Amino acid sequence: MEEQKWPEKYPVEGKRGRKYGTVAAMKIGPMVKAAIGSSVEAQQEGKDIAYTFIECNYDEIIRAMDIVPVWTENYAGICGAKRDAQRFLEKAESLNFSRSLCTYALCGLGFDEWREELNDMPPDAPWGGQARPRVMLSSGQILCDPRNKWYQAAQQFQPDVPIYNLTGFYPIYERDADFHETEGYYAKYMMEDLRGLVRFLEEHFHKKMDWDRLWETLRLADETTDLHVECRELRKAVPTPMDTGDAMNCMVPQAFMMGTQEGYNFYKDLRDELKYKVEHKLGVIEDERYRLVWAGGLPSWFALSDFNYFWSKGAVFPVESTYNEQVYSVRELDLPKTDDPLEYIAWRSIRRWTYWYDKARKRPGSEPDVERTINYIEKYNIDGIVVHEAFSCRSWHVGLIWMLNQIAKIYKPIPVLILGKVEKEEKTYREVPSLILESDIIDISSYNEADTRARIDAFVDTLEAVKSR
Amino acid sequence: MAEKGAGRGLATANKYYQDYGGRARELKKQGQRIMGYLCALAPVEIISAAGFVPFRIKGNVNEPITKADSEMETIVCPLVRSCFDMSLKGKYEFLDGIVIPHACDSIARSYSTISYSLGLPYSHFINIPHTTKDISREFFKAELGTFKESLARFAGKEISDDSLFQAIQLNNEVKAKVRELYQFRKSDPPLISGTEVTKVLVAAMGIPAVEASQLLDDVIDEVKKRASPPVKKLPRIMVVGAEVDDIAFIKLIEDSGANVVVDSMCVGTRDYFFDVDTGQDPLGSIADYYLRKLNCPRTYREWTGEIYEEDLEARFGDIGSFVKDFKVDGVILYILKYCDPFGFEVPARMQYIKSLDTPVLYIEDEYSMSTIARLRTRVQAFLEILAR
Repeated sequence: MEEQKWPEKYPVEGKRGRKYGTVAAMKIGPMVKAAIGSSVEAQQEGKDIAYTFIECNYDEIIRAMDIVPVWTENYAGICGAKRDAQRFLEKAESLNFSRSLCTYALCGLGFDEWREELNDMPPDAPWGGQARPRVMLSSGQILCDPRNKWYQAAQQFQPDVPIYNLTGFYPIYERDADFHETEGYYAKYMMEDLRGLVRFLEEHFHKKMDWDRLWETLRLADETTDLHVECRELRKAVPTPMDTGDAMNCMVPQAFMMGTQEGYNFYKDLRDELKYKVEHKLGVIEDERYRLVWAGGLPSWFALSDFNYFWSKGAVFPVESTYNEQVYSVRELDLPKTDDPLEYIAWRSIRRWTYWYDKARKRPGSEPDVERTINYIEKYNIDGIVVHEAFSCRSWHVGLIWMLNQIAKIYKPIPVLILGKVEKEEKTYREVPSLILESDIIDISSYNEADTRARIDAFVDTLEAVKSR
Repeated sequence: MAEKGAGRGLATANKYYQDYGGRARELKKQGQRIMGYLCALAPVEIISAAGFVPFRIKGNVNEPITKADSEMETIVCPLVRSCFDMSLKGKYEFLDGIVIPHACDSIARSYSTISYSLGLPYSHFINIPHTTKDISREFFKAELGTFKESLARFAGKEISDDSLFQAIQLNNEVKAKVRELYQFRKSDPPLISGTEVTKVLVAAMGIPAVEASQLLDDVIDEVKKRASPPVKKLPRIMVVGAEVDDIAFIKLIEDSGANVVVDSMCVGTRDYFFDVDTGQDPLGSIADYYLRKLNCPRTYREWTGEIYEEDLEARFGDIGSFVKDFKVDGVILYILKYCDPFGFEVPARMQYIKSLDTPVLYIEDEYSMSTIARLRTRVQAFLEILAR
């Protein structure tokens, strides 16, 4: 096959070759490194620093108040990606935290204990270390006990750092109940809790919220999300211009930089690049034989090269559910009109978390996660499903087997009528095979490369068998 | 028919314990409706008030988890997996529905799996805030209201404040009797063993409150009349942890040469040592109880003191009181693998218990008899340290 011709603007370069990844994604490493470096500088300068978690509805609030976020999950992920998490995990384990707990949290706790013990960063801390916070903003939501407990446990080493624990609930899906009947009191609760958070931040940092600035930050964040949605839509193209391996980097501005111009600019550049690649049919890989969906689970940050292995087999991931939970344009959410930015945040969050609820109700046996995956299978022309089960995380990795079982029920036994070769409707069975990878988010001791690759090989064989039928 | 009578309390408890669910099955045959639930956070008062028999789903440490593994990840708390496995295997075929409270990730994230796979006529998830603020209480009361309406629709009858009030009173009566039973554990040696108490409490969670109340009367009467304690004077142990619904671990400690005299866990003091208020607002009282009184680490408690040690006292003060009141010689912190709410508290709990000058042993277990030999070695070593 003739080699693809690549424009100068989006060149083939680097060890991996940019034809696999986007040029925009190359900026992510330096962006994160700079953010971590500036939080360490902020600590030295005595600025207002907070420990924070992603997708907790306070992104724009802290940005509007010039509070420097230290994204603790992000730092643990970086330690994992640099294969330097083990010493922090072992430190936590030596304190009697079980290794079966969330390893993001264990890494953070091990790091914090070490930093407090030395009154300095642990030796050779990745990218300069994790800054000491002045407050910690917890949020367990419905989906993550570690977020509810992590900062409380950290107070054992830094008892002078206060916590605000924001609940951040949304109605859970009930197939026999209409969540619209309860979402009102959920929104009220979240709005009041956010008001409590603003009071807490004002009190601790001796500054007042500028509500106009908050609205402005929200507008910028919403526009950023719109660009991100556009990027996801562009990935439907065949060949797909961007893969999940890349998306696991490109999620950074959505998760950690909402409400910033830097985040907006990133997705604008990414959107432009993807548009160009779609127009010129520049795909991630040349021979796109299998299109897969990453339907659940955080990746093993130390083994992102597994995506290269998929590519080498002709498999590509045009879409993923991970880190896409909040990536819905406000234009699609039918938000109630309000003059209160906190009420706006509350409704926006609830409508995003419940985005698939009404759609799921229309399909027997479906549920929001199932429905979203089905939607991806159909819209992105998917041949197979991959999920990752990380042993230390129940938040994102429980319910995946059940979801796959439901999808198998929906696809396998149900005949699909298609227009056959003789232009007559024929019955066919659309099979969507699935693969469960098992490891962890950052604990490399749980990972076996040979086993993982053997599973991928077997999965690709299955995909081929289905395709050949 | 429910068994009762003087001298038969412990035998009846043993029977219900051994044949867990047997009584509920009988009641079902007699036309009663049985509502299953997981965890101490399920508001049994509302279930009772709707006319259902609340039935706490229990696992089985003797039964290997098999069927559940094809539908639920093995990284889920092993107790939850065992409960699901037992349900899938038809052990609780008499259930009319299931109520699942937002206790922890293992339970919350499994809701779809459990509700769909069991295919019961009714299922409901109750969201419980992680904080105890006033706004959380207001939200939780609304959420309980939603549950009440949902259950009333399924029951085909309204749940009146009066019926809630009666259910609260009845359940409070059971709680008071459990507290009375625990008084027999204060003597040295105790008048009732930890193994016996566990059997009684497990039996009580699978029968209607009115029968549990009668069972406790019979047990109390029987123990009161004991001529001599059933156990020797031995080191006095407190077990702290999440949920123990089986005698295996308690018996192991007692067989190793100790008496388990008190606990801070479910099923135990966590469920029974505080009452639901009997004021004018029953739903509000139920919200207060499950959010603020039931001391489970899944609920974050805001700092009320000035220093960290005061926070520890606010969170774990019940352990300190029990150590003192029951003259505890040593504490065993017994945590199941993959339990995030308790797991993150282990260092803090150990720090607190050590501050009481009480030795503590931390064990992480897997809810299976296969670990018993290993546990025995560790418990025996701990008891040897206590004996020095």
